[in-house]
Amino acid sequence: MLQRLYIHNFRCLENFELPIKGMSSALLIGKNGAGKSTIASALEVLQSIGRGINRVGQLVQSKDFARGRSDVPIRFEIEVLIEKKLYKYALALELPENFKELRVFEEQLIVAGDIIYSRKEAQVTVYNNSQNREAQFLVDWHLIALPVIQKQSNTDPLHIFKTWLAQMIILAPIPSLMTGDSNGETLEPKREGSNIGEWFSGLLGRYPAAYTQVDQYLREVMPDIKDFLNELIGKDFKSMIVRFEENNANLSVNFKDLSDGEKCFFLCAVVLAANESYGPLFCFWDEPDNYLSLSEVGHFITSLRRSFKNSGQILVTSHHEEGIRKFSNENTFVLDRKSHLEPALIRLLSEMSVQGDLVDALIRGDI
Amino acid sequence: MSVNKYKPHILVLPEDDANRQIANGFILDLNLNSRVIQVLPEAHGWEDVVDKFTNDYASTMRQYPHRMIALLIDFDEDKDRLSYVKEQIPDDLENRVFVLGVLSEPERLRRNINKDFEKIGEALAKDCSDNTNELWGHHLLRHNRTELDRMISSVRPFLFK
Repeated sequence: MLQRLYIHNFRCLENFELPIKGMSSALLIGKNGAGKSTIASALEVLQSIGRGINRVGQLVQSKDFARGRSDVPIRFEIEVLIEKKLYKYALALELPENFKELRVFEEQLIVAGDIIYSRKEAQVTVYNNSQNREAQFLVDWHLIALPVIQKQSNTDPLHIFKTWLAQMIILAPIPSLMTGDSNGETLEPKREGSNIGEWFSGLLGRYPAAYTQVDQYLREVMPDIKDFLNELIGKDFKSMIVRFEENNANLSVNFKDLSDGEKCFFLCAVVLAANESYGPLFCFWDEPDNYLSLSEVGHFITSLRRSFKNSGQILVTSHHEEGIRKFSNENTFVLDRKSHLEPALIRLLSEMSVQGDLVDALIRGDI
Repeated sequence: MSVNKYKPHILVLPEDDANRQIANGFILDLNLNSRVIQVLPEAHGWEDVVDKFTNDYASTMRQYPHRMIALLIDFDEDKDRLSYVKEQIPDDLENRVFVLGVLSEPERLRRNINKDFEKIGEALAKDCSDNTNELWGHHLLRHNRTELDRMISSVRPFLFK
């Protein structure tokens, strides 16, 4: 579970801390440009590191410095509780004068109070607390060390933490890119949901029981669904087909021909099954109420909240009044930014004074 | 799928934001079938709850005989409010409408038990699914007993797993 996320000097996030500790689900609201999606982008930097991208230039560019302020490092700090151990990872990136690409200034991983490795510019020091040994080596200062340090085993804290980062689900789905076609398997969904076919294949390949969970959810939202297939249509190439049935009549629909909202039902089903199968997971879903009918929004959000209630953690953004109403003051964060020249500020709704109805206040622009 | 209006379901009409958050917590209970309950936007006052019910919802309840509704209002220590609200409910719908709420107001209950509204809702749902009376037995809530028993016996078959 994410305990703390601190971001400094990254786009509109300056000295920014997300106080999400202990919350199984939370909502981010705020005007356009307030910084909600930037939080997802910051998390995506960390997710990409977990997924093996180690070239700093592929993660962050000079335009990402807040207001172009490149004389101050961009800093990411994340604290995660995994199996009752607190993992603290910090990464600072700088752009010295006359450099074209950012480089690592500082990097450190601490697990349950023990330093696993620390780094200052190119110098990396790996600690082995149990035998009190340490190793030192140099890493190209344009490369993040976390993905390149060799894991000792699957119980190695480095591996556990990298896997947690890699399996973070960050979504801002674009249904037109979700075709259901796949030529491989993965447990690493893309932000726009375009590899849902690969994710679905990866989930069922490793956790066949997940089919039941996906099926159960889909039957609740689409009662006429019969089943869904992931058919092999070429060498290593699969395509998802959904079959519907009513009054003994059948209809097969290619996944890509489902409506935008129906594709989001599938995505939701896979999120819920993934959290159940290989979670607890952290999920950030940017505007999950997009593409959904008004009668469905509340149920959709509630399903996500219930699924993550006892395991995992979900953070969503919303501009939709029905979506907003499905959260409460103690788990709703309001992001505010006075202008494009000022940083994003975050406050818990329960700590603010709102005159009258929240949705009315949002419509009036008072929040 | 949204609530299936041809099958038993219950709508919840909260008076205000506090009652809405309590309802939010209620539907988070994992022993509850969240697909058969729909929390409606708050009405902004107990009188508005009555108005909305009589003007908007009463006719749809006749149209959909499996529809039930829980009106969540604050009693504001007014001993006559329950009977007044119930008098506004047409006879033919009486057995499908339930009137519940805090004796004074949810803010006092929150201070009294030091739980946020959502947690209050969760605790109330747990009482219902476990068949216990811990929070419902609180002095600010126990006046609901008759209405609650009536509601539970009507919704238990479809609302709780």
